[in-house]
Amino acid sequence: MNLGVRRTLDRLFTGLTGASIVLLMLVLMAVLGPMIYRGSGAVLFDGTVEFRRMQRDLFNRADRDALSAEIAETDEARQVVYEMIDRFKKGIDIAAMSSQAREINREYGGELRYRDATAEEYTESREVARTIRDKLEEAFGSQDIELIRKNIAEVLAHKDEPRFKGTVAERFFPLATDFLDAAEHIDLSHYHDYLVALDEVEVLLFGSAERPGLLGPRPNQVARPLAMTSYGATRWDQAQALLDRLVWAEKWVEKEPGRPLVKERSPRAAMFHGTALEPLFTYVPEHIDEMLRPRFTVYWQFFIDDNFDSHYFGGVGPEIIGTLLITVVGMLFVVPLGVISAAYLVECASEGPVMRILRMSINTLAGVPSIVFGLFGLAFFVLFLFPKLGFEPKACILAASLTLAVLTLPVMIRASEEAIRTVPRSYKEGSLALGASRFRTFVTVTFPAALPGILTGVILSLSRIAGETAPILFTGAVAMGPVPKSIFDPTRTLSYGSYDMAVGDRLAMMVPHNQYGMVLTLIVLILILNAVAIVLRSRVFKKLKGH
Amino acid sequence: MPATAADNQATKSDVRMMVTLNRQPTPNSKTPAAECACPVIRSSGFSLYYGAKIGVKDITMEIYPCSVMAIIGPSGCGKSTFLRSINRMNDLIPHVRTEGLLEVDGQNVYDKRTNLINLRQQVGMVFQKPNPFPKSIFDNIAYGPRLQGIRRKEELQHIVEQSLKAAAIWDEVKDDLRKSALALSGGQQQRLCIARALATRPRVLLMDEPCSALDPIATGRIEDLIGQLQSTYTIVIVTHNMQQAARVSERAAFFCLGELIEYDRTEKIFSNPTKKQTEDYVTGRFG
Ligand SMILES: Nc1ncnc2c1ncn2[C@@H]1O[C@H](COP(=O)(O)OP(=O)(O)OP(=O)(O)O)[C@@H](O)[C@H]1O
Ligand SMILES: [Mg+2]
Repeated sequence: MNLGVRRTLDRLFTGLTGASIVLLMLVLMAVLGPMIYRGSGAVLFDGTVEFRRMQRDLFNRADRDALSAEIAETDEARQVVYEMIDRFKKGIDIAAMSSQAREINREYGGELRYRDATAEEYTESREVARTIRDKLEEAFGSQDIELIRKNIAEVLAHKDEPRFKGTVAERFFPLATDFLDAAEHIDLSHYHDYLVALDEVEVLLFGSAERPGLLGPRPNQVARPLAMTSYGATRWDQAQALLDRLVWAEKWVEKEPGRPLVKERSPRAAMFHGTALEPLFTYVPEHIDEMLRPRFTVYWQFFIDDNFDSHYFGGVGPEIIGTLLITVVGMLFVVPLGVISAAYLVECASEGPVMRILRMSINTLAGVPSIVFGLFGLAFFVLFLFPKLGFEPKACILAASLTLAVLTLPVMIRASEEAIRTVPRSYKEGSLALGASRFRTFVTVTFPAALPGILTGVILSLSRIAGETAPILFTGAVAMGPVPKSIFDPTRTLSYGSYDMAVGDRLAMMVPHNQYGMVLTLIVLILILNAVAIVLRSRVFKKLKGH
Repeated sequence: MPATAADNQATKSDVRMMVTLNRQPTPNSKTPAAECACPVIRSSGFSLYYGAKIGVKDITMEIYPCSVMAIIGPSGCGKSTFLRSINRMNDLIPHVRTEGLLEVDGQNVYDKRTNLINLRQQVGMVFQKPNPFPKSIFDNIAYGPRLQGIRRKEELQHIVEQSLKAAAIWDEVKDDLRKSALALSGGQQQRLCIARALATRPRVLLMDEPCSALDPIATGRIEDLIGQLQSTYTIVIVTHNMQQAARVSERAAFFCLGELIEYDRTEKIFSNPTKKQTEDYVTGRFG
């Protein structure tokens, strides 16, 4: 081969190598990129005033005076929204208005009984009030504007009668005027549609018992049981999404018969054309900043906070603690056991059929599906061993760690075995020739020399223990519960939490940032643990090499 | 390689000349140890088998204190095997079996009651390839004394200094005893290993081709060192280098195919051997 060809080939190979490295990086970025992007959204985002309120109420963490002032300012901007809704409601909410009319009538009857009036006066007043109520109800239920006008006029005729002065019955008349005012502006034949549309708008703005709204519950509304629905949009991206749904109504329509339905967006304002509610759809987008006050937030407390409502609010603090606990306890079992077993296999065991079977078992064990280990852990540690040892037979950290230790033992044994086997024989002979016992030789010479390899085993098992889900499913992980007080309590973990959020309920879909945040936390935690082990290993290695 | 070829073709008279030139008389060589003391190592009819295979067969010899004894012979003839039998390093190898008697200081080495740890502290060993532990120089030397239960810092320091001085390496390493032993050169490492063996204060020092991995200058230093050590220690050295054997030893044993062919004063082995095989080997006509 001549030199030119060889050089070209050389360059080609270098180029190919470079290209494949770039490709690998790109694939990695493509896989990890979105996850990192979404996961970081759990910590870095634009938080609204609702977020700060939530932090104050649930985590007792706020600059209280500044926040109160801010809330007062946002409330001012929101007041306009409340008024618009109320105005519109007065002409529309028939059920509410009817019940109001009946309520007034009933209360008026009660009031009358304590007045000194003759029996005739009493009966007459009751009669008039009842008529007013009936007329109002008829007007509320009617779609004929003429009838409404007539009924309202008849009701208002009673306005100045002395029998109503200073009584609850005076409230009949603003009810009547407001209704007429509203009724003049709307298409009465569609009032039922309005009712449904208004309900939708109210849910989008104020939330319901199941879903949070843009602004959160109105100030004097009854408290909601769930934390997640007690606040408005805590994040700016969430607010944008809700705003979009407020401004644009979505409908699935059949464009052509037999074809799949098509999603169609139409401005919601069109539904309320000409009514008191129409300006809402320009006001809210224009003043959303004032109502929510987004501000860039670094929510580092994500890593220490507990969560509310299945991770709707809060962080992964207890999950991190649980993961670390399970990992540490697991490593406490797996490292000594693994090293001792490996030492036995290398130093003491003589080759034979028993050894061969043992070795085969270890290799097979490494390939057993992890869920099998989970069931084994439940059957052996929790149900069999714990009662024998006098512990309560329940899933707990100890059982989970033991199960994970069994799971990773083969990896640990194999790595340690390799490490111990590759320690030069001359080290061992040197030590023995100086009069050291075999045990002493192992402890003082072989083990330190094998340490880098053993630490490789530690790294491998560490990642598995921290990341496995199936083995702890039945042996110690829970989706909810208090922070464990001892290793005899079950715990939440990052791995199981991620799994639970993925399969658990619809709630997690509303907070993908928290879901990805948890997964990212797990990855970062494992990376940190590995980095520590790797640094340790390179230190040991350097020391052994004598630099 | 011309040099080797020339060596191989060296005549008997060449060797004899070399022996007379290079043999530097030491005070001890004037008074043969055999006449002043009883043997330190005594083997009679000693054989060792690797399973069915013979390692060494029917060795009978006596090694006297305060002298250097060299073992020579072709490769695979059981030199290392015999050397390693003396401090029972062959125990590590599975299926090893011994016959006959091997005594160190009148104590049967292969007796069941023999304390292996005591034996190995009595009989130090230096290997063919320098094998310092991946620890500091200090920890390497202090390894043996610590095994003997010496914990006091000053005492350890004293022993380390004495051993390093005895192994003629003190001046090169005294500045930084905390340095890793692996950072030393091969020759320094080998002297360190000698120092490490000396630190347990053995009576016998076994050396298995201690200079085979070293250059002539390092070899020269170790040979000088052996010369100095022989006043205090009994040294058994295996070597392939005939000149070296002639230079450092007082007595020499010639092994062949697991058997001891001839054992006598070094001058006699090299100048006037009794056996034909020995003569062939030392004159390079072997094989
Ligand atoms: N661990 C072992 N298992 C089986 N046979 C062995 C073992 N060690 C050595 N032998 C055999 O014993 C014989 C003597 O070996 P030994 O190492 O003593 O030779 P040597 O004289 O030291 O050779 P060299 O000069 O090459 O070092 C050789 O034939 C060798 O094959
Ligand atoms: Mg040998």
